[in-house]
Amino acid sequence: MTLKQYFKDIFTGVKSLATGMRVTGGYFLRHHKEKITEQYPDNRDKLVLAERFRGEVVMTHDDNNEHACTGCTACELACPNGTIKIITKFDMTPEGKKKKALDTFIYHLELCTMCNLCVEACPTSAITMAPTFEHSVFDRSQLIKKLNKPGSKIREGVE
Amino acid sequence: MTLAQIVFYLLAAFTLVMAWLSVSARQLFRSAIWLLFALVGVAGIYFWMEMEFIAAVQIVVYVGGVVVLIIFSIFLTNQSGDDMPLAGIRRRIAAALAVLFGIGFTASLVAGQSFTASTQVFDNEVSRIGHAMLDTGVGGYALPFEAVSLLLLAAMVGCIVIAMKDGGKEKINSAATAAATEQNQQ
Amino acid sequence: MSFEALANWIHNWLYETLHPTVALLVEFAIVGVLIIGLFAVLGLVLVMMERKVSSWMQLRLGPNRIGPWGWFQTVADTVKLIVKEGMTPNNVDKLLFNLAPMLVIVVSMVIMAPIMFAKGIQIWDINIGVLFVAAVSSLSIIGVLMAGWASNNKYSLLGAMRSGAQIVSYELSAGLSILVIVVLTGSLKMSDIVMAQADGWWLFKGHVPAIIAFVIFIIAATAETNRAPFDLAEAESELTAGFHTEYSGMKFALFFLAEYVNIFVVCAIGATLFLGGWMPFHIGSWEGFNHVMDYIPSSVWFFGKTFLLIFVIMWFRWTFPRLRIDQLLSLEWKYLLPISMFNILLVTIIALAGWHF
Repeated sequence: MTLKQYFKDIFTGVKSLATGMRVTGGYFLRHHKEKITEQYPDNRDKLVLAERFRGEVVMTHDDNNEHACTGCTACELACPNGTIKIITKFDMTPEGKKKKALDTFIYHLELCTMCNLCVEACPTSAITMAPTFEHSVFDRSQLIKKLNKPGSKIREGVE
Repeated sequence: MTLAQIVFYLLAAFTLVMAWLSVSARQLFRSAIWLLFALVGVAGIYFWMEMEFIAAVQIVVYVGGVVVLIIFSIFLTNQSGDDMPLAGIRRRIAAALAVLFGIGFTASLVAGQSFTASTQVFDNEVSRIGHAMLDTGVGGYALPFEAVSLLLLAAMVGCIVIAMKDGGKEKINSAATAAATEQNQQ
Repeated sequence: MSFEALANWIHNWLYETLHPTVALLVEFAIVGVLIIGLFAVLGLVLVMMERKVSSWMQLRLGPNRIGPWGWFQTVADTVKLIVKEGMTPNNVDKLLFNLAPMLVIVVSMVIMAPIMFAKGIQIWDINIGVLFVAAVSSLSIIGVLMAGWASNNKYSLLGAMRSGAQIVSYELSAGLSILVIVVLTGSLKMSDIVMAQADGWWLFKGHVPAIIAFVIFIIAATAETNRAPFDLAEAESELTAGFHTEYSGMKFALFFLAEYVNIFVVCAIGATLFLGGWMPFHIGSWEGFNHVMDYIPSSVWFFGKTFLLIFVIMWFRWTFPRLRIDQLLSLEWKYLLPISMFNILLVTIIALAGWHF
């Protein structure tokens, strides 16, 4: 290490420390304007959650009570701890052919770690992560959820 | 008995008890801790004598330096938490003889002196100590001071020799260790 | 009535009414009670300050439930720690395990002795002042080593070893930066050092060496008090809690208190050496300005400066990531120590030539 390098190291070191201190010092000075703390039970009505917050898996349904799940079980295979169980049935298409379709999408919230792997595995984007988190119930059987709504069917054109 | 005397006897008793515990403890680490307290007691006696500079140096050098290094080496050795075996009968007799000789030697030296109370006002100004340390004239301590620093250099060279990978011939090693031990005794 | 007058009045009254020995003992007792009270207040205030500073630097709220703006949170914490069971685990060295926290706290109390809290308020104006502080603060490492070894736990032992290596190394540069001011003042006595700054603080009077020494002192003080970014001794993510892993209840509280009191002590020393202790801020010949500054009580000046330095050290903690042990030691031995040695040489030349103000 040359002498020049030595002093350059000191200078850059001090400079980077000063940069860091400027950031936190700035936060300290304007902390009352930029509070990021959510005072949860108090501001329950207007709680702002982060966009990517993962609370539970839900299946999106449109206004016609239609979803995009083909019952392909990709999510069930992707799940690392057996949270999802898909029961399929066979529908009759207008042409009279048998077609595999979703019967019941069973989701065990008590086993879920919110890893997002099922959502990424889904080829038709039928399921997403919802930002809900108030999941406590008095009996754990209530945590086993059926995600497709009663009477819902697959959206036209989704294969 | 005045308060000063009471304080002196308390400090002396503390130092002696700690020194005794230090040699009689069966665990190496405890032994080091009692040694530390004994050295703190000695520093306390220096404070009692209003030799604050010597007391502070005693704490810095012995407590902060030597004993911490001893504790470090104890940490790095195996089985530092186990009880050490009791010494054999021959070692005990040898130790007792050494202690008796030490006591006799010191007592005879002390008895040979006649202590008279000094009426001179004691000056413990730190700057005076500093000037005496660097004084080259009569009554100056420049030479011993420099000699001590030479010893430090010797100990440092010794440490480097030991730490070097293949420069360590047995002879150099033992010489360096001797220098380091001597340094510790200073 | 100023504190100085009050202290002198108590002193004279005690010596007039009582036997000198008894009066001395009574004064010891008064000072002891005051120091313990100061410890309690410092513990409460500094912990609260730390939590508020950290939360504000991270755009959080901090404690806000107990009392107005959460100011009584630390009181609640203290009550909890006091009533908690002080456990001594099996297979520990019981004597040393229980002795270690007390040793640490006693050392912090002893270091308080030469600090000048205000004009004329000082427990012991010992003639080796700063050397006394440097010497006694090297004792606190023993408590840490003791706790680490007696806990019979590998995390504690590792934490103690790290803390030992760290304190032994950083003592050197801390001592050398203190020496810069000693060279400029020509005395080790705290009162002399403060009096020498009557016409300006050493930070401004001592040119570049004093500024370098100040920066090195702050870094070394942070390291000696085992605070982030030098908190390897209790690195939570690696060693659970380092040397005090096995401690709970009041014994843990003593370690915690000693940590905060040590911060106060090193900052008080830094304020005394570099920022003039209780001396008001004076600018050369601005008579009016200096006169206004003199109206602020000396204790306010002292505590203001000390808490400013404490804030800086807290700012470090909530900004910088923790160093690795090799980075820590290379910072000391490759950077701080050579620089402070060179700095000592520089300041000696300046002092000999009389170039400082």
